Amino acid sequence: LRRGGLAERLCRLQNRERSAINFWRHQCISDAKISSDKSGVLIVKILEMFEECTIQVAICQQLQQTPATLSSEDAVVSAGEPILKVLFVRETAAQLKSRPQDVIHIYPPWQKLLLKNADVPIILNTYFSQKVLPSEHSETGEKVHSLAKMVIRRNIISLAQTFRLDDLDDELHQAGNQVACAPQIHNSCGSKQHSLAQSAVNDSLLEMVESQGAVGWREVKVRVVIQRVYCLPAREGYGSHFQGNKPLLSNRGMFCRLCLLVQDAYGMFSEVQLQSLSSAGDVEQYCRMWEGKFCCLAGMKILQRTTRGRALGLFSLIDSLWPPVVPVKVPGQSQGSEMRTTELPPPSFCYILTVQSDEIHVEVDKEEQISNLYQPPAVHGLKEILQMDGCNERCSFWAQVLYLRLQTKHTVPLNQREIWLFVTDSTLQNVAHMIPKVVAVSVAASCVLSTEITGGLDAASQRVFFKDALWGNGRIICVERTVLLLQKPLLCSAAGADLSELTGPVRLDELDSTTQANSICAVRGTVVGVNERTAFSWPTCDRCGNGKLELCPQDRGLLYCNQCSDTVISPVLKMQLEVFLSCPSRSQSTVKVKVCLCPRLFVLINSLLSLQSYEVQSVLGKEVGLLNCYVHSVTSHPNCVGLEEIVLL
Amino acid sequence: MDCTLPAVAEELLKEIKKAFQETSHDTLFSRLKFIFGPSAVPALDLVDQRAVTRVTSPSGRTAYQVLGSSGKLYTCYSSCHFCTCPAFGFTVLQKSESLLCKHILAVYLSQAVGACQELSVSEEQLISVLLAEEEDEG
Repeated sequence: LRRGGLAERLCRLQNRERSAINFWRHQCISDAKISSDKSGVLIVKILEMFEECTIQVAICQQLQQTPATLSSEDAVVSAGEPILKVLFVRETAAQLKSRPQDVIHIYPPWQKLLLKNADVPIILNTYFSQKVLPSEHSETGEKVHSLAKMVIRRNIISLAQTFRLDDLDDELHQAGNQVACAPQIHNSCGSKQHSLAQSAVNDSLLEMVESQGAVGWREVKVRVVIQRVYCLPAREGYGSHFQGNKPLLSNRGMFCRLCLLVQDAYGMFSEVQLQSLSSAGDVEQYCRMWEGKFCCLAGMKILQRTTRGRALGLFSLIDSLWPPVVPVKVPGQSQGSEMRTTELPPPSFCYILTVQSDEIHVEVDKEEQISNLYQPPAVHGLKEILQMDGCNERCSFWAQVLYLRLQTKHTVPLNQREIWLFVTDSTLQNVAHMIPKVVAVSVAASCVLSTEITGGLDAASQRVFFKDALWGNGRIICVERTVLLLQKPLLCSAAGADLSELTGPVRLDELDSTTQANSICAVRGTVVGVNERTAFSWPTCDRCGNGKLELCPQDRGLLYCNQCSDTVISPVLKMQLEVFLSCPSRSQSTVKVKVCLCPRLFVLINSLLSLQSYEVQSVLGKEVGLLNCYVHSVTSHPNCVGLEEIVLL
Repeated sequence: MDCTLPAVAEELLKEIKKAFQETSHDTLFSRLKFIFGPSAVPALDLVDQRAVTRVTSPSGRTAYQVLGSSGKLYTCYSSCHFCTCPAFGFTVLQKSESLLCKHILAVYLSQAVGACQELSVSEEQLISVLLAEEEDEG
């Protein structure tokens, strides 16, 4: 065998396995006690058996019960118990001598294989299997059975059934009449080409993709509907493919590229990555201009063919647009017939295309009406979203941003840090209990934010439209393909009145036993202690708020601000202090609040403490509240809550 | 100041090594062994030796030729499971004991790992490959 080759590897693996298998078989034969470690053991009851080549295939029902409670006379097949197909090699089958109704224990390491189009999982590597002998009272019955010889049906496998290693097997494709002889796009069969050069505008993405490399494909145009417009952070590797690549620069300092999610008349999706644009405008503008309109793609190059398993983010967006709202065409059939959308399975693959040269070949018909196929984002209230089932669902909503927090991991560069937005809308504010009043939305580094958004978020409380955010595991996150907009898209299907319009002052949930870390809440209580070790004050620049002032090199008596490049004549003194509160709403915990004092913040404590010095005695016992706080940490042992006073936007 | 490039280069090469020698391949191999039994190791050996060639003609017809361990060239069809080796005739056709012979398995594995050699021939040459007369091995 060749050294270091695959065969040698398998040989080594086989040797390791073989000694384990032999040991097991010996144990079973000599009736030795198998270890009672029941973890990972698969218990099955055989329903039906047949043989294929030398492998024994057993259709089984998976059991949950332990062998002690099981009697072999439990012939009732209860519905709802999972069905499995268990495969045994010849030697194992000979050792087991199993028959229908037998209960088999399969010890690890067994393997499970899931086939794409089948519901029934397959169990492999069942070397370590043991038959469970029936209980005492039914032994006589069993003995009668075992005397009769078992005849197992043999399935003969046709040689005509070959294996296809590429999975180009969705229904849309097979129905078409342009399948190449080998299932590979670049292996083109000259005689089977479509006369695409003749048709001016095509309406099938798949045809365009398949005709790559054929004569005249560059002139082929495909008419599609733009379902979504968004920016994706550009990856390093893609840059090398294209000459003269000029990606967009977003405000976060990341390189990004404008992308379109398009759909053709057959319902097939494709992500088109565009290159440079004449001006580094916002995604918001392009969304308004392009979403819902038809466009003609030409001269596209295939970047990748991706599948559901490899591109979860892309497919969660595609799923939110499935099924199509109007009937789509069926390939290979006459113009008139269209398939009902309820029959179509969701797409399992998607082509990622990109422009070939520096120009953009997307011609958007601005005058034309919005396509019927377009599905605008469905807007819901936050309350509804929080109660949604499922995982990795795309959702869109309007919300008021109350507070912003940047992730503090110092190893991550600033422009790639996660941003936490604490948002609310009227559906959350007007609820009595059980639903939080404010939700934390995490904005990952992969979500590209426009200049308008990042500038606007800092300044004042903004109403932001979150388009295609991801909901799952109890959290809302903004990732790739989520777009944050300040203005409402024209074509949203709104669920009634503008839900983000708040009808009164913002209310936060009060600190209580359910409060969790990384949330905001309102706190009231009595001061029971002051952490004097954490008290300190520092000067800040009165122009820009920079807290890291230096001594002026020329005159050591003055302070200098690096950011303003000027001396600071009248610095603003900030003071930080940690106080311990006793809160009636969470009486079991020690509540520690980091309080920052400066003239901009109006806090009740401010009235008790002077800016220069304070007397601890004068503070103890004083009532404080309601403070708006960010919850840093919640620990149970010791029962402690760490808060930081914040100012809402 | 420490240089950055050597550490980055080293890490990259480590990753490549890890990807090519990953023991997670054990799962795949162990399943392969389970299903294909004694054909598995010989088939992988043929893959290691790059013994599989895909032969194509201008009309688009394909066939596979596998250089066996004895030095003999066997032909495997692409449109159905067929191989000119004696093991196929015996184990698969006669006794139905196996799905494939080691040569057909090697064809699939070579396709899967990208170890297939390519050869373009004329129509006449391909016809002679497909209709090759079997030598009597006695």
